[in-house]
Amino acid sequence: MSKHNAIQLVGIEKSFDGFKALSHANFTAKWGEVHALLGENGAGKSSLMNIAAGLYAPEAGSLLIDDNEVRLSGPRAASEHRIGMVHQHFKLVRPFTVAENILLGLRNAGAGGFRTRLRKLEREIVAKAEQLGFAVDPRKPAAALSVAEQQRVEILKVLLAGARILILDEPTAVLTDQEAERLLTTVHAFARSGAAVILVTHKMADVIRYADQVTVMRAGRTVQTLDPRSISADELVRLTVGESAPAGEYQAGSRGEERLAVKDLRSVASAGERGMLAGVNLRLHAGEIYGLAGVGGNGQSELANALMGLPGATEGEIELIGVGDLRSASTERRRELGIAAIPADRYGAALAADLSIIDNFCIGQIHSGRYGAFWRLKRSQMETDVAEAIRTFDVQGVRSLRQKAALLSGGNAQKLVIAREFSRKVKLVFAHSPSRGLDVRAAQAVHTRLRAARDAGAAVLLISEDLDEVLTLADRIGVMNSGRIVAEFDRPADRQAIGKAMVDHV
Amino acid sequence: MSEQVVPIDVSQPKQRQPLLRRRYALEVRQQMAWYWQALILAAALAVGLAISALILIAAGVPGGELLNEFVIMTVFDAQSLQAVLFQASPMILVGLAGCMAFRARFWNLGLDGQMIWGAIGATAIVLFEVGPPALRLPLMLLTAAVCGALWALTPIVLKLRLQVSEIISTLMLNYLASYFLLHLLYGSWKDPRDSFPYSPPFQSFERLPEFFHGYSAGIPLAVVIAVFALWLIGFSRAGLYLRFVDANPKVADAVGVPLRKTILATVLLSGAMAGIAGFVITSGQEGRLTQSFYQGYGFSGILIAFLARNNPIAALVVALLIATLFVAGRSLQVFYQIPFSMVQLIQAILVICVASSDFFIRHRLRRVQGGES
Amino acid sequence: MDLIASWLGNTPDFAVPFALAALGLIITERAGVLSLGAEGLMLVGALAGIGAQLAYGSAELSLLIAMLSASVVSILFAIMVVLLRINQVIAGLSLVFFCQGLTGLLGTLWGWTNRPVSGMSSISLWPLSELPLIGKVFVQNPVVYLTPLIFLAVVWFLTRSGTGLRLRAVGENPQAADSVGIPVLWYRVAAILAGAALIGLAGGYLSVLSTKLWIADMTGGRGWIAIALVIFARWYPWRALMGALLFGCVEALIPQLAAAGIRLPQYFILMTPYAVTLGVMIWVAASKRAGGEQPGALGIPFVREERR
Repeated sequence: MSKHNAIQLVGIEKSFDGFKALSHANFTAKWGEVHALLGENGAGKSSLMNIAAGLYAPEAGSLLIDDNEVRLSGPRAASEHRIGMVHQHFKLVRPFTVAENILLGLRNAGAGGFRTRLRKLEREIVAKAEQLGFAVDPRKPAAALSVAEQQRVEILKVLLAGARILILDEPTAVLTDQEAERLLTTVHAFARSGAAVILVTHKMADVIRYADQVTVMRAGRTVQTLDPRSISADELVRLTVGESAPAGEYQAGSRGEERLAVKDLRSVASAGERGMLAGVNLRLHAGEIYGLAGVGGNGQSELANALMGLPGATEGEIELIGVGDLRSASTERRRELGIAAIPADRYGAALAADLSIIDNFCIGQIHSGRYGAFWRLKRSQMETDVAEAIRTFDVQGVRSLRQKAALLSGGNAQKLVIAREFSRKVKLVFAHSPSRGLDVRAAQAVHTRLRAARDAGAAVLLISEDLDEVLTLADRIGVMNSGRIVAEFDRPADRQAIGKAMVDHV
Repeated sequence: MSEQVVPIDVSQPKQRQPLLRRRYALEVRQQMAWYWQALILAAALAVGLAISALILIAAGVPGGELLNEFVIMTVFDAQSLQAVLFQASPMILVGLAGCMAFRARFWNLGLDGQMIWGAIGATAIVLFEVGPPALRLPLMLLTAAVCGALWALTPIVLKLRLQVSEIISTLMLNYLASYFLLHLLYGSWKDPRDSFPYSPPFQSFERLPEFFHGYSAGIPLAVVIAVFALWLIGFSRAGLYLRFVDANPKVADAVGVPLRKTILATVLLSGAMAGIAGFVITSGQEGRLTQSFYQGYGFSGILIAFLARNNPIAALVVALLIATLFVAGRSLQVFYQIPFSMVQLIQAILVICVASSDFFIRHRLRRVQGGES
Repeated sequence: MDLIASWLGNTPDFAVPFALAALGLIITERAGVLSLGAEGLMLVGALAGIGAQLAYGSAELSLLIAMLSASVVSILFAIMVVLLRINQVIAGLSLVFFCQGLTGLLGTLWGWTNRPVSGMSSISLWPLSELPLIGKVFVQNPVVYLTPLIFLAVVWFLTRSGTGLRLRAVGENPQAADSVGIPVLWYRVAAILAGAALIGLAGGYLSVLSTKLWIADMTGGRGWIAIALVIFARWYPWRALMGALLFGCVEALIPQLAAAGIRLPQYFILMTPYAVTLGVMIWVAASKRAGGEQPGALGIPFVREERR
């Protein structure tokens, strides 16, 4: 195994609109190794790798390939230096076939007419896929592929473009355990064949099992590079999160009467798409947190949308006990009924990025008439309320109540959402991935609020792809798989059994 | 205490890349101080006016006369000032109509059609002699508003129900309305005393009175409606709803804004305002229904709303400017045989310049390292 | 019988401007640029065509100049939407108003209004032109025969060439195109210019070959109807051609009805194309047929480093 430097990033600086994403980041990967880049969400991993792939231009610092300094004018130049990146959000053109997508990435498509080249490429795709140990239909449109298949196409795309330095950004985030294992075995073999693989991840387990070297990033800086087997997992965690905040511990709640019954909820299949929900049955009780675990894309988003009253047609029943079916209730009516919603897509369903903190907060209670009748707005009352909520819920980084919500960091934006939703009597809480993208401290603040809501007698539904989060919070755990709840667990729950229910075929 | 000598490194002069090799990164800017925004806006308007002046000179207006024609003659001459204010009242109304619709994210390009229907409605009250003379004017105003709103009903319902693009539907409805107007004016509504395509003249009590010597009551009417719009947008619950609809309809829906009701009501209000503008022109300026009274107003309404950033008070000011442009355009037509299209061209140039200036408000350009070496 | 024959015979002449404008729009919109400026660019093409015809007398040259002028004016639009990232609706509308003002002004200043030109002589496709009833369909000016060939070329380009594939990628998913090094912005500029050339040709056809004179605002909403046509055709060229023929039929019917002496209120007849457009828009929206979505990134400006 050769141990020459494949790619080096030295002293990289990068900021976005005044926010320093990278400061003096250094990174070196060698030929023949799988090099993990480990860090929490927002640590700057993707930004650093986007610079390596020529997508972003750094403000300072240099990039060396085979110890020669190069400047990348764009992704094409990166491709010429045989760097290929598989992005976290796949970059496939949905109506195009697999072969057409891959053809786009080729610098040199070879001779002959368009059709001839395409046919030739189709054969190459099949051969290359076989070599890597999987099968791909090159004539299938990208839109018809599963997530794992799309990822394979992305990998084929960069490999067929001739990449020898392969960057994978959070490749296992969307895969089941089995799929992830297959993928990592494949890329490990690819690295051993003399290439270089960079694995961007926040999963400790992947690093420990498959990486030869790991570079830890924290808050835009590269902290340390080391052999992951040389230290314990706990130490690796501490390096990643810095001063380690103690992991939250489960605290039991006291279960009350039934609040919500979801009965055989199904998506209405639209043209060309099958419905994601295939008969969900679910009961929520006052004073409990029901955690819904599962691999992403098994219908959680659709369920959350249906419960929160976001777009998406469903049949079946969502019965709020004592009130009736919620499906036809407007979001306005839901608020009156004391339902709080914390959607996963913060700036797509909870906060208007361009509006002020005041507007974003007060919209939550405007219907109650607290800020005056329809014909007026009591400004001073609004300001008092916001100021108080910001203090109570510890929303930081507020320079002025009139500043745009977009200027808040992820954690503080989420705190603002929670402040709005919980600043009144709440009977029912729907939370979908409430701590996604937040740092440890902010996530804990969110958890504390959810527990507090439960202890105050609300029924809480927590939908999360993060099993640790579910295990920390939930009094009862359901597992969602293929649009259904396939298993339910009471405390104490067996982690292994839950994991099995998440990935089993049903 | 002696000062420390700071060693100056002269061995490595700061490297500078040649300009062409530098790479610039474009970034989205979240916020900019209001005075900078105002400055950029003013600069854009200045550039637009300068380009327009050049075009006017190229078209044969003596350069020295421009200032005289546009500023001095229109603002300092009492008669011209009357003409500008006269012109301004329907301008303000269509501008407000544009503001309201845009705030609901509705591209109301149907202001023309809504004006036509407003005017038809008002004229129908006159021709069929509905109500006693004392109530005639309020009745005309009301009918105009209702007719304008009803003409806006089709596109907004189509948009809410079927997601039909309002850009096309409102424009097509304009054509339908304008041909219907011709149908009336060449048909049953033609003035029987001559063969010209216009309705019989209104009687004095069917015409907008003067509220002050030489100044039409259209002006206070427009101002009152502007204040109403301002209060609605800025100081009522509807305004908060509208801000959410404008910022992000999905979020608005998710946080409990009655999305469809808000949009529907706002667009109907926009149509009503345009209808009133039609009434003001017919009853105030022309004194009868004519075949082309609406021309140029639809675009002006969109332009005013855009330049005023959908703010009703700013719309008042911009509408005055555009009215000045119209009046000056007419005198250019008379004195220098410049076609009236010049006014539309200048309007378009102003929009383009101001829209372009947005780029500098929304983005920042920063030099970064890069480029092939 | 004669009426039907001459109605069918006139249909292609009325259909060509719709077809060419719709094709131009498809090219631009397939690259992800929402192009509302068609009405204005058609006017530019129409005025430039007449101007060249009056100056040089060659219809071929006039049509070329019509294409060129529309492309040149569309550079303004390209700067607005690609470089400055102005809202594409605002940019498109202001382009229309700009062109309406500009052509109205120049047409009057240069005295090109209402001056008839000779156009091109028709070519009969013998023996097809001798057929009963539909014979007149095959007596047309050369551009009518050229139109299906232009369609063929564009369809070939979009579906059977690497550049066309990249162009569509830019319109469907510019982030993906960018990540493999396709110069997104340049593709969009090129698509705007190429599309404008076809729209300009449609305008030039209208003034030089069809009406054979220039009147201010002579396009009368045809650019907008072409936009509706593209939506109706779900961005597929052949469907757009069919739609254009439908509108050609409707427009060709108007003078026929008058000639036939059918007594209908004339202004209601003049409303037909616009009413049909509205009807088609409603029908498309209500039927929600499968097959063909709008380009994924239509109307969305591309910024690579848009973050936070």
